[in-house]
Amino acid sequence: MEPAIRVARLCKTFSVPERDPGVRAALAALFHRKTREVTAVVDVSLEIASGEIVGFLGPNGAGKTTTLKVLSGLLHPTSGDVRVLGHVPAMRETAYLCEIALVMGNRNQLQWDIPVADSFLLHRTIYRIPWADFRRRRDELVALLELEDLLRKPVRNLSLGERMRAELAASLLHAPRVLFFDEPTLGLDVVMQKRMREFVAEYNRRHGATILLTSHYMADVSTLCRRVIVIHRGRICFDGDLETLSDEVAAYKEIWVTLGEPADLSMYGEIRSCDGVRIALRVPKASAPGVTARLLQNHPVLDLTVEDPPLEDVIEMAFRAGPSAPDVAPPSEDRVR
Amino acid sequence: MHVVRVVLAFLRVAALNELQYRANFVLQLIQSLLALGTGLVILALVFDQVTDLNGWTHPQILAVMGVHVMMGGLIQMVIQPNILQFMADIEEGTFDYVLTRPVDAQLLVSIRSFRIWQATDVLVGAVVLIIAVTRPGHAVEPATAMLFAASFLVGWAMLYSVWLILATTAFWFVHVDQIVDLLNGFYQAGRWPVGIYPGWLRHGLTFLVPLAYAITVPAEVLTSKVSAGAVAGAAAFAVVLVALARWFWRAGLRRYASASS
Amino acid sequence: MIDRLCALGAFYVQTIQIALARQLQHRAHNLLFVLGMVAEPLVYLAVWSTVARARGGQVAGYTGGKLAAYYIVWTLVRHMNIVFTPYGFEGRIRSGKMSGLLLLPLHPIHHDLADFAGLKLVTIVTWIPIALVLAIAFRPALDPGALQIFVFCVAIWGAFVVRSTFMWALGLLSFWTTRVAALFELYLAIELVLSGRLVPMSFLPAWTKTIAAWLPFQWAFAFPIESLVTPMAAGELLCGLAMQLVWICIGALLVSMVWRRAVRRYTAVGG
Repeated sequence: MEPAIRVARLCKTFSVPERDPGVRAALAALFHRKTREVTAVVDVSLEIASGEIVGFLGPNGAGKTTTLKVLSGLLHPTSGDVRVLGHVPAMRETAYLCEIALVMGNRNQLQWDIPVADSFLLHRTIYRIPWADFRRRRDELVALLELEDLLRKPVRNLSLGERMRAELAASLLHAPRVLFFDEPTLGLDVVMQKRMREFVAEYNRRHGATILLTSHYMADVSTLCRRVIVIHRGRICFDGDLETLSDEVAAYKEIWVTLGEPADLSMYGEIRSCDGVRIALRVPKASAPGVTARLLQNHPVLDLTVEDPPLEDVIEMAFRAGPSAPDVAPPSEDRVR
Repeated sequence: MHVVRVVLAFLRVAALNELQYRANFVLQLIQSLLALGTGLVILALVFDQVTDLNGWTHPQILAVMGVHVMMGGLIQMVIQPNILQFMADIEEGTFDYVLTRPVDAQLLVSIRSFRIWQATDVLVGAVVLIIAVTRPGHAVEPATAMLFAASFLVGWAMLYSVWLILATTAFWFVHVDQIVDLLNGFYQAGRWPVGIYPGWLRHGLTFLVPLAYAITVPAEVLTSKVSAGAVAGAAAFAVVLVALARWFWRAGLRRYASASS
Repeated sequence: MIDRLCALGAFYVQTIQIALARQLQHRAHNLLFVLGMVAEPLVYLAVWSTVARARGGQVAGYTGGKLAAYYIVWTLVRHMNIVFTPYGFEGRIRSGKMSGLLLLPLHPIHHDLADFAGLKLVTIVTWIPIALVLAIAFRPALDPGALQIFVFCVAIWGAFVVRSTFMWALGLLSFWTTRVAALFELYLAIELVLSGRLVPMSFLPAWTKTIAAWLPFQWAFAFPIESLVTPMAAGELLCGLAMQLVWICIGALLVSMVWRRAVRRYTAVGG
């Protein structure tokens, strides 16, 4: 079956102005503007099937948002072939725009001063949603996102969490087949983040929408996405399951042990942290059982857990492992957004 | 059709927005009257010294002032709020939302915001215009009134195009808020008949910021100083400007889609 | 006491530098800003020149050349008059920034004065080429003496401080009402007519001039222009500077009296 999203060898470069600090440089900049070529995305290829939820991970400036914008038609690729739902996004055909939705964390699209319900009505007119469909979807979204009490409030009176839920509902009223989420949980508290994730997962289950999500919150990715694409310096350095990522990249375990009395455990493995009696050890996966046994045997252990390394560390290792192709000059740099 | 429905939807939103703030209506009225007051003050000071200004009599200049205030009101109601919103969107990164809508971006950008209470200027200007133009024994014929309406609309289309062209530069320069002050500043020149300005300035006003067509000509229609032919010429010029604005806008969109947002 | 003045001075210098660096980035912005303000005086100039020509060369003692001089210098003085407004005040209270400013060990007016002073420096630099172009186009009759030039350079900054203090005092009303706008617009309209901005002071009828004599407006606008454009005796020039100082003191007194009450109200009501 035709993949929902197909990208082949996408490249995107920008010219960015730059300036040294100080008043003298500011005066000089009046006459001679310096720009720098910045490579945001290089040689990115991927395929996403219909109904998948894929997480895009990477540090700031890695190229996640650029890729997302190319896929939603906001940016033209410098080179490469991009197709979403069979359309070329850059052409911005009306039919294509009616099939997608973009939600950006911390950036509002709802009308500020009028009740949420009126913003929804405006949305209906713009997307030409038939009344019956509109009412049905609105009621479903209001129920799923618990918006009943908020419908009559102007957006400016809502808290950040409430606003994000309303934004989310608005963006789904036209039943898009592909959703682009750019850091949707940015700034939300822990409880709200959890609710957002649950909602997205439920929506995907019910409607089979393809979801592409960028984030630098690991929890977003670990709970929602079975597949992750790791981008660093504009290149994909990993594309696959989270478990595979752990296995391939981080073939070790973390052992947390609480001892009866302080001791030096450096002979067993790498000490990650040491807080008197509570020590974290990093050991290769294969030797974890052996080390555990010896610890229990030789030391007064009060508590012991064996864990997979935290996702952040795994991702960081993925970055350090680097993209498969060697870096070609000029080196990409963080770009100003 | 869809376009009309979208326009009406945004008008509805604007009404919902503004009707909440009834105090704004009073404030707007005060501002309109104060602005009119200062305009009348300077007119009085001038006509203390002379009986006509380059062939323009007091009621004729008053008519120009009336059209100026009416057109200014329309600009503040429809054009300026949308341009300001557009520039804010470019600066804050929310223009992307405009692009992901299945509506022509230029249309959307031009109709999203209305400031309904600015209509006080349109009303005040209309009153001044009527006072200036209705003299005993000199009634305005329906044909003249229609010609006036036509030339007024043509003028409005020209000013919209100029505003849009300048706002489109935001795609390249991002922070172009100053164009609003620039345009409003130069708009003040339209308060007086274009004929009183020195030659080179008059030409600038006619072609660069077509205030002559937008304000002086409609007023001249009502004071019988100009013919239907001139209005037809203005219409032709308006068509050129509108087409230019559209072309430039699309160039701007292409630039936005290839550069960093 | 000396330490505090030195610290204040250092604060001003640093804030001005920051404002300079920030503003110099926006080249097109600066140019457009100064250009946009050129239209208003050019309209006045065109109108009054036409009147002068109709009356055989001059009106109310102003020849075409002197009118040109008046309105070209007008453009700079207009810019020096752009200060922090009551609208900005309202915005600050609404956005919560006022709370942040109240926590600083420095009266907030210093921040505004210093910040705007930095912007004024950029404006002055941006203005010079525009003034040259205007001078070539309109041929002003300008022949000031050295003292006049000196007094002018001081007077434009005096104008800046006079208007800043009074605008700030007006802005303080935002602590009591959200409807400052109507009052502000009325203030602006009166100021427009009585300051020398709409027309030179000598164009106004006698009774208007009497009223204007009791108000600070002409010292922030007409006086700096006239100091350069109209031949004035040394005594008059220095007297004018003294009047600016007097009005600055009055404005500062207003600000400090109202500020105390405003802060009390703000902290009691919570904004």
